[in-house]
Amino acid sequence: MANRSRQLYQPRRNNSSSSYSSYSDSTQSKIPKACNQNSNSSSIIYSNKTSSSSSKTGEFTSRIENSNHTDGDQDPPNLIGTCPFMCPVGERERRERLRDLAVFERLHGNPAKTSPALAVKKFSRTISSKDMKASDVRPVPVLEETLNYLLDLLHSSDHPFDVVHDFIFDRTRSIRQDLSMQNIVSDQVIRMYERMVKFHIISYHHLHRSSQTPNTASMSHLNLEQLMKALTTLFSLYEVNRASHSASPNEAEFFSLYLLLHLSPDNQVEPLSLWFRRIPSSVMESRAMSFARRILRYYRLGNYKRFISTTEEEASYLQYCIVEPYISEVRKLAVSCISYGGYKLQPYPVEHLSKILMMKSFQESDVEAFSVDCALETSDDGTGKGLVSTKQAVINKTSKEHNKYYELDSSRIERLCAELPAL
Amino acid sequence: MVAYISMGEAHRRITEYLTRFSDAISSQDGKSLSRLLSVSSDSAVLLSLADALNTFQDANRVIRQSERFSQYGDILLHVFRALQSYRLKNLVESYMAFEKASNAIVQEFRNWETAWALEALYVIAYEIRILAERADMELASKGKTPEKLKGAGSFLMKVFGVLAGKGPKRVGALYVTCQLFKIYFKLGTVHLCRSVIRSIETARIFDFEEFPVRDKVTYMYYTGRLEVYNENFLAADHKLSYALTHCCTKKEANIRMILKYLVPVKLSIGIFPKTSLLEKFNLNEYKDVVLALKRGDLRLLRHALEEHEDRFLRSGVYLVLEKLELQVYQRLVKKIYIIQKERDLNRAHQIKLDVIVKALRWLDIDMDVDEVECIMAILIYKNLMKGYFAHKSKVVVLSKQDPFPKLNGKPVNA
Repeated sequence: MANRSRQLYQPRRNNSSSSYSSYSDSTQSKIPKACNQNSNSSSIIYSNKTSSSSSKTGEFTSRIENSNHTDGDQDPPNLIGTCPFMCPVGERERRERLRDLAVFERLHGNPAKTSPALAVKKFSRTISSKDMKASDVRPVPVLEETLNYLLDLLHSSDHPFDVVHDFIFDRTRSIRQDLSMQNIVSDQVIRMYERMVKFHIISYHHLHRSSQTPNTASMSHLNLEQLMKALTTLFSLYEVNRASHSASPNEAEFFSLYLLLHLSPDNQVEPLSLWFRRIPSSVMESRAMSFARRILRYYRLGNYKRFISTTEEEASYLQYCIVEPYISEVRKLAVSCISYGGYKLQPYPVEHLSKILMMKSFQESDVEAFSVDCALETSDDGTGKGLVSTKQAVINKTSKEHNKYYELDSSRIERLCAELPAL
Repeated sequence: MVAYISMGEAHRRITEYLTRFSDAISSQDGKSLSRLLSVSSDSAVLLSLADALNTFQDANRVIRQSERFSQYGDILLHVFRALQSYRLKNLVESYMAFEKASNAIVQEFRNWETAWALEALYVIAYEIRILAERADMELASKGKTPEKLKGAGSFLMKVFGVLAGKGPKRVGALYVTCQLFKIYFKLGTVHLCRSVIRSIETARIFDFEEFPVRDKVTYMYYTGRLEVYNENFLAADHKLSYALTHCCTKKEANIRMILKYLVPVKLSIGIFPKTSLLEKFNLNEYKDVVLALKRGDLRLLRHALEEHEDRFLRSGVYLVLEKLELQVYQRLVKKIYIIQKERDLNRAHQIKLDVIVKALRWLDIDMDVDEVECIMAILIYKNLMKGYFAHKSKVVVLSKQDPFPKLNGKPVNA
């Protein structure tokens, strides 16, 4: 122990000074420092020209000074974008010439023609803040309208999902790139990130449910990567915002989503125990977090019954999207336990198992098909089908990627998933 | 706040400090040098010097007056700035100046052949961290993003690099490592600990046994904690136990800190602390947890977790304690088994699930028979119970031999 034995530092959850987010986004170069509000008039474009999703409290912008100014560090002054279009003119014309237009950008299907109403700026890997011109960067109101336009595409059914996803995936990444270059923290920006995270979660759900080809597997992986990056940035925005005494009403749900994404120790980059220390108590006490923590407990203890029943009863749409992939794993645990510890002479009734695992049993029994997937047997002794117990059968947990997902037998969940939520 | 002193007195104090400084270096007196650098210690010497500096204003002139002093101009200029700012409570300025001073000292340190200045280096490492923490508090209070502690981490990594060589200076590396741990833990960037840990544990230049005991204890404490967070209970037990056995018995506060993490680890591998130990080191928050485990009292465990939730969450042991539920279930069923054995030895090994439901209801816990069956299935699957369960008869049938295997120093199967 150090000579001066100090009390171990106890971070106070409510005090923003106690925590510095470890959520560094590696492609976006920095955690957004709040923008230095110069008297530069072009920076005050947070006008009334915002979409209907702006908050009732009106625009709140953090006027926090860039703390690097004082020691003369070489930090470029924050860029303020001036591009009024969804896509900068130069890029639009260039891509027309090169016929590099996505389906959604083509005017009347013409691969060489687009318009300002259709062209959306692409994500660029090779850009650094120093090379960027203000005229190539879209200011926040334009970014918001771009986001509105993009998310509306999710409702169109003219194209297969993965085509729509690909386009929105890339173009929202560009939006995040423009935002990070401008380093702005505001309620409006926070809401935009929340919506983009929602998009990634919806995609996460879709991709998980669709057939597992190598293509969708890699899309899934990339989508999860961007989901985490966007969520990480969102958390740092929340943190800066909190320092200015303002909290987003949706914070709790997004924290709960992070927790649900990290139920398994394999997914955890940072141990959950450490992550918990930095959560504000208002978030901890929220209904969303209480749900997520219970789900975590059931997962860790192996309480398959409550894991499934609680999810069915209480999960919000977004929470459900994230929990769904775990359901197969938990069901597998359940049949493993039954196979291992059940009475050998009396196969466990499939009917009852269907109820506990919330699997459909009308006409076709999902439990039977699922058992086959797990290399287990069912038998029929005349009184009904049952899962056979053999002490030997311990199921390999790692092949979860290729297992079919059997829908949760719940009208509530069906209703939740039937429509896309408002984005 | 800044006391009034005459210009003459101010000049005298400054010159005295400068003399001590250069004397310390020329006589290779590490201890004296370290005392001259402990900005945050609020020592009388440094406070009075700071007052003098704020009065005199042009200390630079004094430094330049003599070759003895001006050879360390780079260092002294920034040390003075750090002290002045600190006295005036400009903590960000103080940190930044101190970092510059430290940088200059480290450059000199590289050239000094022996390890005489290690103690001064320790003070620098410590001050860098403390001043950075305070600077960040100042930044946050003004609504700015705190980033000095992160910078301190980068700086100390460089210092670590300087010490990671073949000479006698390398024994200082563990102290710097521990300062880094404290920074990373505070920032929550514990993944950064990995690279330092790797350097200490696998680099051939380091022999762990060579390091001072105090640093080894601190190191094992932090790496032990990391193992706790990652739920590697056997490794955590090993490291925290090392810290405990090598910790000076008089340092009760430190022992307490180690036990705070060791107790949950031991509980997870089935080893219970004595109540007297918990009381001696003021770890009463664990009393009910231990009692719940001994009694199979699920209600008590949940109550204890709720009552001390904030504390357990802050220290990061909450999830570990929550998982003890399975062992509590095991104990509960065992108690029922023991009671049944007294009534009817032949049939004791068959326990009706309804009996368990009832037992839980006595504890105000509402669990239906399906969930109880689920829990029994899990206990069997994880080898906390030996036997099988019969769904149709709603009964759990325990093995006649060793139905409740003890953990014996191993954690519950994942």
